[in-house]
Amino acid sequence: MNTRALITQIGPPLFFFAFFVLSWYALVEFFDIPPYLLPGPPRVAEAVSTHADRLIDAALLTAMGALSGFALSFAFGFAVALLFSQSRIIERGLYPYAIFLQTVPIVAIAPLIVLWIGYGLQGVVAVSFIISLFPIIANTTAGLTQVDPRLLDLFAMNNANRWHVLFKLRVPNAVPNMLTGARISSGLSVIGAIVGEFFAGYGTDDFGLGYLIIQTSGQAKTDYLFACILFCTLLGLAIFSAVGLVSNRLLRRWGGE
Amino acid sequence: MRLYCYLFCALLLFACGQNETPPPTEQGKTRVRLALNWFPEAEHGGFYAAHIHGYYAKRNLEVEILGGGPDAPVIQRVSTGAVEFGVTNADDVLYARAQQAPVVALMAPYQINPRCIMVHESSGIERIDQISNITLAMSQRPAFSHYLRWKYPLEGVNIVPYPGNVSQFLANPNFAQQGYVFSEPFVARQQGGDPRALLVSDIGFNPYASVIIATEETIAQRADIVRALVEASIEGWEHYLRDGQETNQYINSLNPEMGLDILAYGVEESAALVLDPVASEKGLGHMSSARWNELHKQMVEAGLIKAEGGVEGAFDTQFLR
Repeated sequence: MNTRALITQIGPPLFFFAFFVLSWYALVEFFDIPPYLLPGPPRVAEAVSTHADRLIDAALLTAMGALSGFALSFAFGFAVALLFSQSRIIERGLYPYAIFLQTVPIVAIAPLIVLWIGYGLQGVVAVSFIISLFPIIANTTAGLTQVDPRLLDLFAMNNANRWHVLFKLRVPNAVPNMLTGARISSGLSVIGAIVGEFFAGYGTDDFGLGYLIIQTSGQAKTDYLFACILFCTLLGLAIFSAVGLVSNRLLRRWGGE
Repeated sequence: MRLYCYLFCALLLFACGQNETPPPTEQGKTRVRLALNWFPEAEHGGFYAAHIHGYYAKRNLEVEILGGGPDAPVIQRVSTGAVEFGVTNADDVLYARAQQAPVVALMAPYQINPRCIMVHESSGIERIDQISNITLAMSQRPAFSHYLRWKYPLEGVNIVPYPGNVSQFLANPNFAQQGYVFSEPFVARQQGGDPRALLVSDIGFNPYASVIIATEETIAQRADIVRALVEASIEGWEHYLRDGQETNQYINSLNPEMGLDILAYGVEESAALVLDPVASEKGLGHMSSARWNELHKQMVEAGLIKAEGGVEGAFDTQFLR
């Protein structure tokens, strides 16, 4: 990308970010808001620099949980969607239970999941998996089943069997949908990892961002809490962007009409 | 554009105006609110006793006791003036003051903190420093868990989040967890477990528990209300420990999860924790600089707060006997 294009892409978000930070600073100063309630940007920046090591370690740990959960949900979700695309009865029978995955409040079932699956990384990955599963299933199923009927006729006229139709027509057709689902799930997987950490933890000396959030909020260290939230946001952004990049690559190859 | 400015200012003014003192009630009593740090339980018994036995009313106070729960933002609600009084623990007061929240402790019912580590009798662990090679569930919110980790090597101990119930404890003989000495062990025993409660105060970490807090401003400007509330609460606690049955029935009606049996056990056990030798001599709710300084020192040593300021202004004994 040339310099001019880069500036027009990054310029506006940076500008609004600067505007937001300045307004936040002005608000805290003007109303003399105490730090335990709303710390100003300087305090949060100080918290970030003081605790940078811990925050980065925690973010990496949470990233591990989130990416594992995301990968699992993508693989499993794709498999389930394939199954749904092959049998209307199974789809009609099981789809409502897939919806259940989306509507069940994760904070309520996370402790149960940890009870069944166990403490530590496995519990975190399980919660992250559960919360990121539905968008993959929903979007991939839609992509696999909503095929142009004329193309289906074309395949039928050429004596294509079920597997030809599936792998040469349905799956390529589903790629854009799958990637949309992946983008949604990537954000959810981070939330899932953090919520999972609230209940599962990692062990004695390893702390994820979820653990730090609970600790700092209980200790009224709001500036440190904001630093944690910032890192959670950055983590979510990083994973989302990575999925977006992969998505653009694949779409260029597969998705064009 | 101007419309948006006006709207924004109106919103701000509205938000600022939310913290006015409530008007006196019809019978000339002053209405105040007391925010609890957990669901209504035996650890709040004295306050409920003061409410239902008329100790607050006798002093022209109408106290609305607001139940709390997990993450109850007591410090924030008191600091911002949303409520006049709150109930929390001494370590939370020091955390709050380290972040410039102007809260002050006024009265400390629990001289001995009820926090305990509940282990299995079958584990053979008899003291906290012996804890090793098990899974230990502790919350990272309060100070005691950090202090324990700082002070003891806890070899082979896998620390996991506190689950809020005893099911993991009952299912796994290699599991220990935090609790309140008159709560979790009772429930575990009731369900057939073999709990042994190890008081955290035994290792020397003993923040006052269930302390009443108010802001510096409330104390300066409404000292009469503060005095009334503190004195009535002391009387309420004395009554509760003498005869807590009616109060427990009231608490049970507010929080049906708390059975009358566990509440009765709570009163029994609390007597020794509230009316220890110091309080018996110096009065219920007593607070000493030595105790506060020691807590501050311990929290600084464990790296939980900075040393600046010490315990200056963290507690005020002028309303105690």
